[in-house]
Amino acid sequence: MTATAHKFFSPARIGAIASNTLLELVRLKVFYFLLIFALIMIGSSAFMVRFTFAEQFQVLKDVSLGAMSIFTWLLSVLATAMLLPKDIEDRTLYTILAKPVPRLEYLLGKLIGVLLLLLVSTLVMSAMFAIALYLRQQTVIAETMRTTPPEQVAEAIRNIKASTFTINLVPGVITIYLKAALFASLTLFISTYASSWIFTILISVAVYIIGHLQSTARDYWLASGDAGALTKIFLAIVSLIFPDLQLFNLIDDIVAGNAIAMAMFLKTCGLGVLYACIYLLVAYFVFANKEL
Amino acid sequence: MAEHAISIRNLTKVFPIPFRRERVVAVRDLSLDVEPGQVYGLLGPNGSGKSTTMKIVLGLVPPTAGSTQIFGRDSSFVESREEVGFLPENPYFYKFLTGEETLRFFGKLCGLRGAKLRERTNELLALVRLENARDRRLGGYSKGMLQRIGLAQALIQNPRLLVLDEPTAGVDPAGSREIRDLILDFKKRGITVLLCSHLLGQVQEICDRIGILHQGVLVREGRLEELISIENQTELILENSTPELLRQIEADIAKSGARIVEMRKPQTTLERFFLEVTSDKK
Repeated sequence: MTATAHKFFSPARIGAIASNTLLELVRLKVFYFLLIFALIMIGSSAFMVRFTFAEQFQVLKDVSLGAMSIFTWLLSVLATAMLLPKDIEDRTLYTILAKPVPRLEYLLGKLIGVLLLLLVSTLVMSAMFAIALYLRQQTVIAETMRTTPPEQVAEAIRNIKASTFTINLVPGVITIYLKAALFASLTLFISTYASSWIFTILISVAVYIIGHLQSTARDYWLASGDAGALTKIFLAIVSLIFPDLQLFNLIDDIVAGNAIAMAMFLKTCGLGVLYACIYLLVAYFVFANKEL
Repeated sequence: MAEHAISIRNLTKVFPIPFRRERVVAVRDLSLDVEPGQVYGLLGPNGSGKSTTMKIVLGLVPPTAGSTQIFGRDSSFVESREEVGFLPENPYFYKFLTGEETLRFFGKLCGLRGAKLRERTNELLALVRLENARDRRLGGYSKGMLQRIGLAQALIQNPRLLVLDEPTAGVDPAGSREIRDLILDFKKRGITVLLCSHLLGQVQEICDRIGILHQGVLVREGRLEELISIENQTELILENSTPELLRQIEADIAKSGARIVEMRKPQTTLERFFLEVTSDKK
């Protein structure tokens, strides 16, 4: 007797694998890295007393968003790289795939589990960042009220508030999350054919470097004017395979207080989702034919 | 024609060796059937192709040639696994999960939910006698307990076929006996079992039929008693016999022209002796 009729695509099965993956990562105590993030923010606050209030907010945003970007990326690569090799080594993969679970559902479940972990981490880090920013704002307001003539206080406080929480922070955090999601999908794809998790991590780091440098290298080669047909084809292939990660870097604009164009933001989001889907699809094709 | 639990036809599996032109033939032109309700022992030395055959039956590895079916369904299709429970050799499962969480996880993969899943989990924890360890993480389980939780997860969706790869490997004699008894219980319930084991004594105790693989080729296959019985010999075990009776039997045998091959006191098995001694001490 079978429990239920087989479904070719079951969100419940994917949900079971995703929640189990999240539970695994939580019980591996990966959230401890948030403590390091908190320490970085507290540490950076210690150097701020020498700056003007505008500079203080800029430094805090720069350090916090930079740390968020590095931590979410690092977490996505490290957490994803070990999932598949560990399941193969422990033979857990055999027991799961010996149940009526299609390989696509297994991969999707694993990826969604990591994405949930990244979502929780990004939200917690954003909340910590917001609290740090708010506390800094209150300190600066108190200081301003003490040192500014009464008739200028209202104007000064308005200026402080305007340079603390800006709408730009939201797209900034979203692109940080999307970049990490893209890397989770890429790392999952690499781990479907890699023989060890060290290889997976090294390749992911290499893609990170290439992704950040490719636009600069491309601009340099094309601007020099001596790029031949072969170079152009090579550049086209590189920019097709590797995402241009500079597009996901909105931190400089946020720190400088520049407005982020909605069209640019949506294009970056679309690109992130597209690359994540492509990497997942390729991962499936490799994994579907993998001999376990 | 009756439906086979497992049907393997002209199965061949060749593994290419990376960066070389050589190839390894793991299984060569294998054909066999396992009937519903049977306990079938697949035997062979290391590297004989047993695990590869099991993996192909479970759809984990594609065959190079030939086909395998589970209850009439091609085992390359995911839905064929609805009817199968599998216990791999030396399973570890997720060490971060408790016994109960493990069964619930595998139950969800098989479409079980809510009260039905809860009932089935409790039932199986009781069957494999792990009720007291249900809230302990698998990282703290002994080898025997891991094998038993492995058997429970294999049974979670009430499958008609169980595939067990070395189910007693590394387990102490008492644990091994418990697992053997569980397999005999599955047989009584009509569950088909495909068993791979190196413990020939245990295979002899529980299997109805065996197949012996050697270098990927099925060298012997058939009903166990037919394969191992010595046709021209008879075993006679007497209780409370007197020396006179034994002398008379020997004389009659000599007169008939038959020959006594061996006369000795029957012995208990070392396993039975060990279990008796250790159970007394408890």
